[in-house]
Amino acid sequence: MSSEVERRLEAMFAEAPEPDPGAGEEALHRALHALHPVAAPRRGLRTAVLAFAAAILLLVVAAGSLAAVGALHVTFGAKAKPRPATSQLSLPKGANGLAAIVSGRLAVVTRGGHLHGLPATAVALSPHALYVAAGIDRSLVAMAPDGRRAWLHPVGGSVVSIAWAPDGFRIAYVVHAGRRLVLHAIWGDGTHDRVIDRSVRGVRPSWRADSLAFAYVGAGGNAIVYDLAHTSRSVVASSKRMGAVTQLAFAPSGNGLAIAGRSGVATKGVCRLPAFPRRSVDWIGWLGSSLLVAHGGRHTALDSLSCGGGFGSSDFGGKIVAFDAGGQRLAVAVARAKNNVLVVGTSLPFRNLRSVSRLPRGARVTELAVG
Amino acid sequence: MRKARRGDREAAAALFRRYWRDAWRAAFAITGRRSLADDVAADGFERAFGALGRFDDRRPFGPWLHRIVANRALDLLRAERRLSDEELPDTPDFAPPHSVGDRSLLAVVAELSVERRAVVVLRYGVGMTPKQIAEALDLPVGTVNSRLARALEQLRESLEVEHVE
Repeated sequence: MSSEVERRLEAMFAEAPEPDPGAGEEALHRALHALHPVAAPRRGLRTAVLAFAAAILLLVVAAGSLAAVGALHVTFGAKAKPRPATSQLSLPKGANGLAAIVSGRLAVVTRGGHLHGLPATAVALSPHALYVAAGIDRSLVAMAPDGRRAWLHPVGGSVVSIAWAPDGFRIAYVVHAGRRLVLHAIWGDGTHDRVIDRSVRGVRPSWRADSLAFAYVGAGGNAIVYDLAHTSRSVVASSKRMGAVTQLAFAPSGNGLAIAGRSGVATKGVCRLPAFPRRSVDWIGWLGSSLLVAHGGRHTALDSLSCGGGFGSSDFGGKIVAFDAGGQRLAVAVARAKNNVLVVGTSLPFRNLRSVSRLPRGARVTELAVG
Repeated sequence: MRKARRGDREAAAALFRRYWRDAWRAAFAITGRRSLADDVAADGFERAFGALGRFDDRRPFGPWLHRIVANRALDLLRAERRLSDEELPDTPDFAPPHSVGDRSLLAVVAELSVERRAVVVLRYGVGMTPKQIAEALDLPVGTVNSRLARALEQLRESLEVEHVE
């Protein structure tokens, strides 16, 4: 009977479906892009390798001799890797959710539950934090906060940044494709993925309040607004002095856009804000109608620029290593000399913010999302 | 192969065209979904071409590629299971609209666990020997043989039940 089953299996697989021609073309493009030429071995190179190997051998023999007489301590094997630092977050009062990537691992808390410990490269929250989108192992994954997977979309590379539209219907994300970064937009249910730009920078895209457009940074360092309704893109003019755009943030209402570069910030479609000195800017975001600008490198200050000339500055007592401010709430991860903290709040100054996690020493926060 | 390793795009494209169909069909047979098969096969080629420099060109390319594709498909299906509290169907849309002669067999193959399905696909779909499968999936040959035997037994029982009903 088994042989009959085997015969039927062979016949069945022989009639398996064919791949779509379009998929083959796309795959060929990707495969050729991954091709790294290997130089043919040369005699000179071989001689150099042999000489290097001989030198290493001599060193090992010498070290062995010293170890034998107690003059040198020798250990073999890889150094034990430190356990990955993970963090349990607490949900700030009034917030729907908070997500972070801490030392390469996902830490999420929402009203619906916790997610903790999955290796991830990027994270974003859906509106009201009902879902979490994360870059996990060359896939974009949407999960309910209790850990149940909503969908998984293989993307062929590690996801660099994710931005969920305010209406929840779309997600923009940047993914590694060989040596390039490619910008995609996908529906919130994990279908209808399409490439928006084949060469961009890894800056997190920012959605306009009406969810019909988003801004991203093109390969040349310009801010570009992509209009979904007209499938058109427009480059946002900025001064040469500002240099390549490193951060961008649409205002939580209206069409206002703030962009930051190597020296300063610029806004478009926003009320007149106080002048900001030409400084290198680390992060920007919005809290209500105030533009928040973090600058200062090792000791970051967070300035708040408001319509009508209002200006405030907060000292966080350390370096801001991750930041998110999407209009109603801000989240800030601060690396200090003695401790690292993750704070969340709805208003500045710093004392108004609440600590939601004391991060393990050495923990590296690379992504933050608050909703 | 040597030309492809040296970065000759024409040679690499020829290599791709020679193996793409088989790699895709193996990916489809394991994952059961066209969209996943597209991604898994493309990913397999991307990884294979990215690692051509480490490939021993005295060995055949096909089994090496199938090893990458099969492992990628298994990783993906396992990741799906790990991310879900629910018992996910491994091949949710395996009621294929395409023309396949033995639909009842296809349906029971879809009910196999991904581990058993992978060895069945590599044995009867790709034509690899148990030893080659063992190398591809990094398993002992005995494990491959026992998975094959159990898979065939499960298929036989399922087909018998179907026949009786």
